[in-house]
Amino acid sequence: MVRSKAWLLRGFAVGVAFALTLAACGGGNAVSSQASGGASGAPKTGGTIYLLSLNQQWDQVDPQRIYTGEDLAFFGGTIQRSLTSYKYSADAKEGTSVTADLATDTGKPNATATEWSFTLRDGVTWQDGSPVTCEDVKYGVSRTFATDVINQGPTYQVAYLDIPSAKDGSSAYKGPYKKTGQDLYDKAVTCNGNTITFKLSKPVPDFNYTVTLGFSPVRKSDDTGESYGQPGHLVVSDGPYMVQSYSIGNGGKMVLVRNPKWNKASDPIRANYPDTWEVDFGIDPKVMDQRLIASAGKDNFAIQYGNIQPENLATIFTDPEHTTAQFTGRAVSGFDPYARYYWVNVNKVPDVNVRRAMWVALDRQAIRLNIGGAFAGNMADGVIKPNIGQDYASTGLLDGSLDWEAGTKVPDNGDPDLAKTLIAKSGKPAPTLTFNFANTPTNAKTAAIVKSSLEKAGFTIKVAPLEAGQYYSIVFDPKKSGEFGTAGWGADWPNASTVIPPLFTQKGGWDLSQLDDATLNQAVDAAQTDTDRADQSKKWQDLNKQVVENMWVLPTFFGLSQTLAGKKVGPIYRWPAYGSWPYGQMYTMP
Amino acid sequence: MAAYLVRRVVGMVVLLFLLSVTVFVLFNLLPGDPARLTCGKACTPQIIEANRHRLGLDQPVLTQYTNFVKGIFFGRTFSEDSPEPIICHAPCLGYSYNRHQQVLAAIADAAPVTFWLAVGAFLIWIVVGISMGILAALNRGSWVDRTIMGISLIGYSMPSFFIGLLLIFFVIIRFNWLPFPSYVSPFDNPIQFLQTMILPWIVLAVLNAAFYMRLTRNQVLEVFGDDYIRTARAKGLPERVVVVKHALRAGLTPIVTAAGLDLAYLLGGAIISENIFNLPGLGSLAVGSVLNSDLPLITGITLVTATIIIFANLVVDLLYAVIDPRVRVG
Repeated sequence: MVRSKAWLLRGFAVGVAFALTLAACGGGNAVSSQASGGASGAPKTGGTIYLLSLNQQWDQVDPQRIYTGEDLAFFGGTIQRSLTSYKYSADAKEGTSVTADLATDTGKPNATATEWSFTLRDGVTWQDGSPVTCEDVKYGVSRTFATDVINQGPTYQVAYLDIPSAKDGSSAYKGPYKKTGQDLYDKAVTCNGNTITFKLSKPVPDFNYTVTLGFSPVRKSDDTGESYGQPGHLVVSDGPYMVQSYSIGNGGKMVLVRNPKWNKASDPIRANYPDTWEVDFGIDPKVMDQRLIASAGKDNFAIQYGNIQPENLATIFTDPEHTTAQFTGRAVSGFDPYARYYWVNVNKVPDVNVRRAMWVALDRQAIRLNIGGAFAGNMADGVIKPNIGQDYASTGLLDGSLDWEAGTKVPDNGDPDLAKTLIAKSGKPAPTLTFNFANTPTNAKTAAIVKSSLEKAGFTIKVAPLEAGQYYSIVFDPKKSGEFGTAGWGADWPNASTVIPPLFTQKGGWDLSQLDDATLNQAVDAAQTDTDRADQSKKWQDLNKQVVENMWVLPTFFGLSQTLAGKKVGPIYRWPAYGSWPYGQMYTMP
Repeated sequence: MAAYLVRRVVGMVVLLFLLSVTVFVLFNLLPGDPARLTCGKACTPQIIEANRHRLGLDQPVLTQYTNFVKGIFFGRTFSEDSPEPIICHAPCLGYSYNRHQQVLAAIADAAPVTFWLAVGAFLIWIVVGISMGILAALNRGSWVDRTIMGISLIGYSMPSFFIGLLLIFFVIIRFNWLPFPSYVSPFDNPIQFLQTMILPWIVLAVLNAAFYMRLTRNQVLEVFGDDYIRTARAKGLPERVVVVKHALRAGLTPIVTAAGLDLAYLLGGAIISENIFNLPGLGSLAVGSVLNSDLPLITGITLVTATIIIFANLVVDLLYAVIDPRVRVG
């Protein structure tokens, strides 16, 4: 996910969180993703579902540029299909199971998982009735290589396809607009009738998950580049709905109507219940909550894009797992996609004992209370979140079983004495550290807690708030950033290959800690290319433990979020695949 | 008068030029990196540089500024590598890659909303504020005066977001007296326009009307104590003539000054009202651009609103002379 979200800025301490998608099997998750009781009433074909958004527009509508979990879920459920998708289910395991979408199956790899083939279904058409072809998929994927025009989206295509790099390290193929290196792309991606084959530069055993992101077709004749999908250049649909209108800003709307050319026989995933979807932009979050709480008129059929405001949580929930009687069946609480943490620049804080002391001294209990208490999230024991499924295993950080903890369970409110002991082990006095955070009122209070708790252990903390919209653009530059700061990350699919490599390798793109360790890089490569899924999981779990052993980041919380719907819309659950509403299955009720 | 006008217009142009330079320099001094912001999550140094080039940020600041100014007079082309390059005709204030929209088009879409919001609220607060202020002054010390001043104190004390949320909750959600605001042009659907705008007008007018009640009362009372008013009464002029022709004309002069500037500030966007009532005006546009670090849009809005305020100052100065002949321009 990708872009700054005002609701994230307001709701969480991470400031701007990039993002992610996914979530999966429950391990250790005490939170229900399904509304207790469930919505009552039979599904009705017809009607309009209203999606109320505080944002002034979609981050992106272009299928190669969408990267926010909720947006992937919405467009994937309505107007854009990928080679594979996820099953609709509230169950953590089934809801993150990959299933065939545009393709007839979930892909056929060769023995080394360096080549994957997908065959398109018959009968899939664009909204004008012309067939979706293999060439359309190939062209759509190629757009990602035009990184200066089609930006902000997933770039697994660039990372995985067997296309050599140019001298500057970028791909030798520059996309379909400049056409530089077109022959290289044509070798890596081939069409044979309705079958598309991807040749990869290394084994990618979970490539059939990768193709859920940005592997949607785009017809060359429809492509307007930078403006594709924006008002005036509406995206062309191959799903059950199509865009009738799109306007941005406060009062802006996107209206989706049925695609008359959509063929149910070619689409085993989407239910296609409502006649119309209407997305209403720019709604004040406090007003949105009041509308949904009252649930009158058209708001009976409305759902929330974003989170319930903290001041209303006690009205709607008795605790993060249970709603009050009045809201049974129309409110959901569950894991959001993000694991929150504080990055630590390992070049500026090279001593592992000092980094450990930082985490030990941190008053995580007070910080959690400041950002919403139990509703905000669970204490994190690493960067791999339990809802990812089999790649999660307890690291032992929270129960004191790590070697350096020597059986001492660090209390949630910190242990300054243990921190002092760890600092003493470093052989140097406690350093002065600068703490970066996106400047919001909540984050400023969190920063005060960070300063207070770390200074009890002897550190000197300077707080350095950064303008929220600029936060990540500054902290990625080690010359401008401090020693540590806030961040959040979510997996792109249920595999820690989308967590550990981005966060802890230079080429991963999200290495805020500035880590560049040859041994670690080798271990990451070994895990990424391991075709034995069980063995791969073990490797990710070990690496997650290595993260907290070395405190390359300071884990804080596994985020939770709460959302609300009107009284006559269903089904009400959090789709584990994207931590979102199950848009493709949603319906109105009489 | 003509020479005065020419001097003022030239001064306006110089001021706007200096403002544009200041805004440009300030934004370039900010520590953030717009190229990194457009890059997304899976970012590499190569992608950042490609985006920096596309945005023109790899050029010297002076070149960037020159291109910006050239765009205003001759237009520009953005995203030239795209299948459909974006042609921004003069006067081009830039292109917002965040909104995928030309800056001037975004401002032009938002300006009418803010205009109607400002004008409607302005009329309400001027009519209510001045008439109540005069009434209080004419009944100084009476229960009428105390009641009006009490009302103004309440109005002045209530934050507009609080009034707005109260009105939405009771008028729209609880009692369904009005539909949810959905802006349309008054020329397309005047009924829906009025239904949408009446609550924002009230919210904006409450605060300002309270201020103008007090301002008007004080001004009129001050004039009532002047010698020429005593002279007018001594001459036996009817009280109506004394009040309307002599007292109000002099007493309203500073009110016109304040009103002109207040209206101009409002034309720059009423941020809270626009956001609470989901109106697509300049205020919400400005907030969105700041939250998204949308520098082209921030620059455009800054320049346009500054122009409005500078122009309003000129109009106020001219009106001042019309209302009060003692003031001479030149």
